[in-house]
Amino acid sequence: MIIAGIDIGNASTETALARYVDGKPEFLASGIVNTTGMKGTRQNIHGVFASLKQALEKAGLAVENVDLIRINEAAPVIGDVAMETITETIITESTMIGHNPSTPGGLGIGVGVTVDIREVNSCDKGASVIVIIPKEVDFEASSQIINHAVKNGIFVNGAIVQRDDGVLINNRVDKKIPIVDEVSLIDKVPMNMRAAIEVAAPGAVVEQLSNPYGIATVFDLTSDETKQVVPVSRALIGNRSAVIIKTPAGDVKERKIPAGKIIIQGTNKKAEINVDDGAEKIMEAIRSVAPIEDIKGEAGTNAGGMLEKVRQVMSNLTEQLPSAIKIQDLLAVDTFVPQTVKGGMANEFSMENAVGIAAMVKADKLQMNMIAHELETELGVKVEVGGVEADMAIRGALTTPGSDKPLAIIDMGAGSTDAAIINKAGEIKSIHLAGAGNMVTLLIASELGYEDMGLAEDIKKYPLAKVESLFHIRHEDGTVQFFDKPLDPTAFARVVILTPNGMMPIPGNVSLERIRTIRRDAKTKVFVTNAIRSLERVSPTGNVRDIEFVTLVGGSALDFEIPQLVTDVLSKHSIVAGRANIRGIEGPRNAVATGLVLAYEEGV
Amino acid sequence: MRMNFDAPKPEIMVLHGKNITYQKVVDNVLNGIEEEGIPFLVVEMEEADPVELAFRGAELSNLGVGIGITEKEVVLHFIKLKEDQPIFRIPAYSDDTTLRAIGSNAARLVKRMPFKNLDNTELS
Repeated sequence: MIIAGIDIGNASTETALARYVDGKPEFLASGIVNTTGMKGTRQNIHGVFASLKQALEKAGLAVENVDLIRINEAAPVIGDVAMETITETIITESTMIGHNPSTPGGLGIGVGVTVDIREVNSCDKGASVIVIIPKEVDFEASSQIINHAVKNGIFVNGAIVQRDDGVLINNRVDKKIPIVDEVSLIDKVPMNMRAAIEVAAPGAVVEQLSNPYGIATVFDLTSDETKQVVPVSRALIGNRSAVIIKTPAGDVKERKIPAGKIIIQGTNKKAEINVDDGAEKIMEAIRSVAPIEDIKGEAGTNAGGMLEKVRQVMSNLTEQLPSAIKIQDLLAVDTFVPQTVKGGMANEFSMENAVGIAAMVKADKLQMNMIAHELETELGVKVEVGGVEADMAIRGALTTPGSDKPLAIIDMGAGSTDAAIINKAGEIKSIHLAGAGNMVTLLIASELGYEDMGLAEDIKKYPLAKVESLFHIRHEDGTVQFFDKPLDPTAFARVVILTPNGMMPIPGNVSLERIRTIRRDAKTKVFVTNAIRSLERVSPTGNVRDIEFVTLVGGSALDFEIPQLVTDVLSKHSIVAGRANIRGIEGPRNAVATGLVLAYEEGV
Repeated sequence: MRMNFDAPKPEIMVLHGKNITYQKVVDNVLNGIEEEGIPFLVVEMEEADPVELAFRGAELSNLGVGIGITEKEVVLHFIKLKEDQPIFRIPAYSDDTTLRAIGSNAARLVKRMPFKNLDNTELS
């Protein structure tokens, strides 16, 4: 008889096709397609069809030949991710410009009153001014006006320019002054206000205006006022040029949004923890309370909103009441997000602390039965729901050459990280935890400030390189690769993602090292944390060290660096860990689908 | 052995035809180079084909970067490319910003900085 095992995962739907001869399975082919719709919902059926068809075509069979289809009890888990900022910098009534135009003009620090360049000649002799040059005035005209004003005894101590004219003006004025250019929102610069402007030498960063006492010196601030400018100086750190304009009603503050509490209800215990306390404290609380019944957020706070959003999404997907949705696990990760500074004028941003959360709910098993039923009517083939996903995965993992019981697996998917352990007697214990590939994508996207999840997904999946000339790139590890045809000019001097479809330039000017660090940190924060967490929970003694062999399965185990990161950390706990090779040919893929077929003979 | 310190100055070569009527185009391109802070040299040539002018410029330039300007076109060329395949070519009637951008790009080719966009589909 011919059996198809089909595993509906968060990201992909995989099929294993086998023929049973004398009670022994002989595998014929595999199929893999993207999962359609959210895992565990009826939209999955299209993906199941496509995946099965793919495997059948490879084996030269038709749907009619299949005697039995076994699908996974996709139930237990659906994951979702959310992110909340817990700090925010707001600058009201006072303004600053702190950005990095590639070519500012001049050098040094200048202080004066802001004046439109077209009105500078009506200033009093001896006045100290900073001229504002909107895009209507070109560099020829503005440099002439500045030279004229300086001859008439007006101290022009600096210039703020809308166009990219800094160097051109600097080359044409007699007296050298600091010039900040490419200020897009120049009409927001208030006139007749005291301002300080600083431009550092190439390769250096502003020193005076990134120091609170430096600002105090320039503006004669009291100690109370100095305290208030700290967020401004902080936002200016690392810039080559900066402007601060002091307005009388200046009120600068860093506001902490009340992040709220998370309430963890365990079977025996209950814990309340402030989101402000950070991811580490939250995870500690979760560990102490386990097993968890439900997790709630304090109503009317960010934490409440975040968890209720997850609950709402889940309730829509599973067509259950929100109150019936129980959050079973949560992975909290400390992160930071670039947030536009309110009060900035060149779209400045500052890095604000945030907490990212992946939550997991127990879905309704009826959903899978419904999918099975619908498949059965459409295909005319008997469909049954197999056992728990992790149990199936471990059966599949045992087909890896060189593996034997006792064995633990970590199934690193897109939505959840699952672990299971099988002892010598064949008893299996498994756990599902929140947080996997999708969480990594979210962290990368938010830390780099991308709206585009597709871009973050590509950064997660593929290595980076820097295009160093029209003919060569330098890979992350420093090796150089030459090309005989010139590269696309849009990629020139940029960081590119080396996708299988060619190089994809990354917009903006974030350095390769930074993107790489963010990517690796995100993977570590999610997968290494979850590897340890999940093994702790399945270990017979509760200690990770008592597990000897671990294989890594699931889509994220295919990643070019996640397995290494996990293997490296686990080896410190003296665990042998490595990527599985299902049936000796599939790599870490197809574990659950294979397990579903194998479990048939055991009648599970 | 002593080094030869008389090496030619590193400059971007900007080549255009004789007795030109399009000085404004040339000025815009030069402003682009100047803003990026790279030295340049302007030379008049008999040649009328902008791509050949640009490539000739690239050959003469110690940096290998040349710009050819005629009344019809502005072309940016690099010594390591095939003669008939310049990096950028834009019409001479392009707006001031675009003309400045091609000048900036000549300098950015030297500085190894991402190019400014010439067709308003900014990659940022």
